[in-house]
Amino acid sequence: MSTGTVVFIILTGAVLAVLLYIVFAYNALVALKNQIKNAWSQIEVQLKRRHDLIPNLVEAAKGYMAHERQTLENVTRARAQASGAKTVPDISRAETALSSALGQFLAVVENYPELKANQNFLALQEELTSTENRIAFSRQAYNDQVLFMNNKVEMFPSNMVAGMFHFRKGQFFELEEQSGRAAPRVSFG
Amino acid sequence: MFWSVIAANRRKTVLLIVLMGLLLVLSGGMIGMAFTDVYHPFAVLIGAALAGAVWIAMLLMSLFASDTILLGLSRAHEVSRETYPQLFNVVEEMVIAGALPSMPRIFVVDDPAPNAFAMGKSPEKSCICVTAGLLAMCTRDELQGVVAHEISHILNQDVLYMTVAATMLGSILLLSDIFTRSFRYTSTVRLASRSRRAGGRAAGPLLIVSLVLAVIGPILARVLYFSLSRKREYLADATSARLTRYPEGLASALQKIGESADTLTTAPSATAPFYIVNPYRQHLGNSAFATHPPLEERIRILRAMSLGAGYLDYHRAYVEVTRRREKLFPASELQDVGRVGIREDGQTSAPVRPARTESARRAGDIIRALNGFAFITCPCGLKIKLPPEYREARFVCPRCRRAHLVNRPDGKAVCSVLSGSAVMSRQASAGRAEPLNRSGRGGRDAPMPQEVCYQPGAWQKITCAGCGHEYEISPRFRARRMVCSGCGATIRLAPVHEPDDRSSGIQT
Repeated sequence: MSTGTVVFIILTGAVLAVLLYIVFAYNALVALKNQIKNAWSQIEVQLKRRHDLIPNLVEAAKGYMAHERQTLENVTRARAQASGAKTVPDISRAETALSSALGQFLAVVENYPELKANQNFLALQEELTSTENRIAFSRQAYNDQVLFMNNKVEMFPSNMVAGMFHFRKGQFFELEEQSGRAAPRVSFG
Repeated sequence: MFWSVIAANRRKTVLLIVLMGLLLVLSGGMIGMAFTDVYHPFAVLIGAALAGAVWIAMLLMSLFASDTILLGLSRAHEVSRETYPQLFNVVEEMVIAGALPSMPRIFVVDDPAPNAFAMGKSPEKSCICVTAGLLAMCTRDELQGVVAHEISHILNQDVLYMTVAATMLGSILLLSDIFTRSFRYTSTVRLASRSRRAGGRAAGPLLIVSLVLAVIGPILARVLYFSLSRKREYLADATSARLTRYPEGLASALQKIGESADTLTTAPSATAPFYIVNPYRQHLGNSAFATHPPLEERIRILRAMSLGAGYLDYHRAYVEVTRRREKLFPASELQDVGRVGIREDGQTSAPVRPARTESARRAGDIIRALNGFAFITCPCGLKIKLPPEYREARFVCPRCRRAHLVNRPDGKAVCSVLSGSAVMSRQASAGRAEPLNRSGRGGRDAPMPQEVCYQPGAWQKITCAGCGHEYEISPRFRARRMVCSGCGATIRLAPVHEPDDRSSGIQT
């Protein structure tokens, strides 16, 4: 075998390996992109569930909480804004506002023992708790996927494939911690 | 990324199972040698093939029958969203968190001992089983921790792996049993003569080796099997913490399970590794022959996760508590998962939990509803539970002599029972009108409203001022008003020990 043939074989092998890598990396990126899309649609399903639940909750509480008109209105308004939001940052902001309004609402509910004993309201509250958990869990799953995707898009060598086919980084879905859940501030003196 | 941790763990498990398989083939070969001529060229092969055949037969049997056997033995009833919304919600949350491809079927086992297990050979087709005792004793967060543990068994395909490993262990035990028995009953003379027949070559050492293997093999296989089982328990605990982001939930559930005096009566011993804690109280502690790590250790590891709920935190807590340096998870997968924070407990926003007896009663009601009991909630506060054997169409309340029609339970009846008793919801809707009445328009809808002070939470007698009819009020009676069955007058009940309600009640 002449040197030329050896060089030719090595070169062809290298080119084939690179091509193969590109195919695999491309497929992995497409799979990730679809997973992210899927995870986001899961979040949307859960947010929709939350928005559908809130009018029922407010309706059930109205009879008991005649003096808390302001709190109820806050919840309804935050819900209207949240269901109107379109882009990821907008949705994040609106949902954060809705979460804090709901937190206030649930804190006020504590003052109404009759409301808390109402079976209908209890069932709704269980649904709300579950929905909040689902939002948290689907958000976590989505953010995990986005982090994985972003690592792929930025890290060598997959970043070259990502650049070639215009894969973009995903956006994290952040909800700021509710003010009600922050640790209480303690001051001495 | 929990899926890569799971994939890495799967490789390790496969390795261990291959090791067990080797052991199986080896002991099969040795037995083949002992039974036939020692130096027969095919002796080893025949023995190994026999061992393989035994294993495959056992595997097929357990794979095709395991679900039905286990569920049937444990007297499980399938529940739906209507029958137990909270359990259903919790499972659905964990399915979302674990990105399971489909919703598992949910079963409730009629057993007072708190326990749970998962079944199913693949994540697509799985089921989760919890006992009525667990439902009765756990808060929402605790239930979530337990369900997450079971979901991670499904995610890790533990049932499949443990079935494969268990059947391997079973066939190794069987083969070595046959071998030692035959050895005991065939005299050494025969063995000696056989070796002589083989041409006087030294067969003694080989026989001794096979004898040793027959003794050591089962022990080794057991150690491998149980270490595999314990590893997968740790992994399921870690995944549970990761999925719920609340290790304390599982920890306190495990504690409650450990403290409970009941033991599971319905579990066949072969199914022990599938439960969240071993249903047969093993007092072996940290032994090599335990299917589960000791409960206290699992609880202490979970409680030591003070910084986060990721795999890295679990691993740190594991090293801190057990002082073992072995790797639970591959190091490369621990890099980027430490950022998972612990969430707040859900109790602040969760509905008020009923007291323990109350929730035990509810769990009992679920089982009764599933078994075809009829439920009647009498306006006097008595809840009547009629067994399916009661065939009459009417039933008279033993306390207030009110006659009730017996509605045999269909799906709807079950729902109404489980979402809280019918009379409670009616009282609640009556209570909704109350604030309006108090603010000046009182007595609009009742012919002759009366007000009687009563102490909630105690037995007491109340007399209707209109007709003199006497009522006995149970401690569980919570309504704010009742209608006298004698004269139809509304009796408003003002509780005496709650200052808020009393002051507002006096205004009317």
